[in-house]
Amino acid sequence: MARGGGNRSRLLLVILLVTSLFLITLDLRGSGVIKGSRSVTQTFLAPIQKGVADVFAPVGRFFSDVKNFPNAKNEIAALQSENARLKSQTLVNKDIQGQLKQLKGVLDLSGRGGYKVVSARVIGHGSATTFTQTITIDAGSSDGITVDKTVVSEHGLVGVVKSVQSHSSIILLMSDPSFKVGVRIARSQSIGVLSGTGGSNFTLQLLDPAGDIQKGDVLFTNGSDSNRPFIPGVPVGQVSAVDHTTATLTQTATVKSYSDLGNIGVVSIVITAPTTAPRTMIVPTPQPTVIVYVTPTPTPFSSGTPSGSPSPTPSPSKKATK
Amino acid sequence: MSPIRIALNAGLLLVVFVIQETLVSRVHLPITGFSFYLAVLLLMVLLENRTGAVILGFVGGMILDLSPASESPFGQWALILTAIAYLIAVNAESIDQIVSRPVGLGLFVALGTSLSLLAYLLVDGLLGQATGTFGRDCLVIGGNFFWTMLLAPFFMPALLVIRDATIGSRERI
Repeated sequence: MARGGGNRSRLLLVILLVTSLFLITLDLRGSGVIKGSRSVTQTFLAPIQKGVADVFAPVGRFFSDVKNFPNAKNEIAALQSENARLKSQTLVNKDIQGQLKQLKGVLDLSGRGGYKVVSARVIGHGSATTFTQTITIDAGSSDGITVDKTVVSEHGLVGVVKSVQSHSSIILLMSDPSFKVGVRIARSQSIGVLSGTGGSNFTLQLLDPAGDIQKGDVLFTNGSDSNRPFIPGVPVGQVSAVDHTTATLTQTATVKSYSDLGNIGVVSIVITAPTTAPRTMIVPTPQPTVIVYVTPTPTPFSSGTPSGSPSPTPSPSKKATK
Repeated sequence: MSPIRIALNAGLLLVVFVIQETLVSRVHLPITGFSFYLAVLLLMVLLENRTGAVILGFVGGMILDLSPASESPFGQWALILTAIAYLIAVNAESIDQIVSRPVGLGLFVALGTSLSLLAYLLVDGLLGQATGTFGRDCLVIGGNFFWTMLLAPFFMPALLVIRDATIGSRERI
């Protein structure tokens, strides 16, 4: 392994370092050419990724299964006990379901799921050479996908569309350190910002220092302006721990995501947001309640009416609207 | 380093890049992923002379900057890998003693990969990019070191054969 070229290599080094800095500056200033180069790479890689996904999917699953093998036994035991609990709960739920059916007629919660989605298969995962948490899907602009759209899985929020090509898109996962989403606590309606940390846990920072937050609280997306990048009402996760440090101005908590971001096979991209915001639909609109007052039919007296007592003339039933 | 040699090196790196982006990144290894591309690049840099190493570092960095998954500015990897390639080339004699044994070569590639990732994180921080938690970053770098160390003995001999067959050692003095 011979070496050589002292001054020449130093000059070359300086030129190449300056070129790199120039490219970084261009990119940070938003040069279209630089951004376009990554789009071209994505267009080129997407078909290969799709082919590899078809052929090598079992390999990826194999390593994932091996990784999860030690937890499988505990998981089975936990699922069995949960199954028993759910069976008993089902019996109780039958009664509740009857009540729920009636309540649903009064409380219009249909806005919760009033959006159109496009489902896509995950064909690639973010490279290990970057600390970015992304996935590549096999749907793009030809399927109606545009950037800054909400991406969901069967369990809840997954991320946001970062870039789009005609037949593929890159999704920035919610676990990415640069990811931030406005969330609302379902119980207290306090709002905050959820940030990715690079791992499976997330950091929630409440906007209100006196906001109400507890372990087990469920979080939903709060929605963005014009529903981009986030539509409201998508389940995000559950608070797993609350940080009670008094040194901070705002309250923070650790959140566990509903979606298993490490094992996503299929995702849905929200194409059309709900016409009515579910956050407003959560609070039921006051409905006119009909109260019927029924006056009992007077009992006929055998004798005359006692003097001074009011006449028991039957009055018509009154309807009052509250 | 002749233009043909640069082109051949770049071609080989492009193939490795495609393998990294399409196949290696799909495999969910425990702890974290494995950077096949960085390992190969560092090995190739090690086999070049000083000028060749610097050029290869820059070209390899540019290819890595093309990664669609990357959130960092274009040119960041080129900057880091050019500097690292120069460091390797300058300290070639010391490194040659270490890499003369297969274990040493594996250790060098693993350490080089970890150092590159650490430098990437530092530059990310300097540029104001989100870098995640310290613990997570340590886990990623540590995991990468572990997997590179473990897998390098399997792919390095094959890579050296391919490189000799395609690029050869014509310019190695």
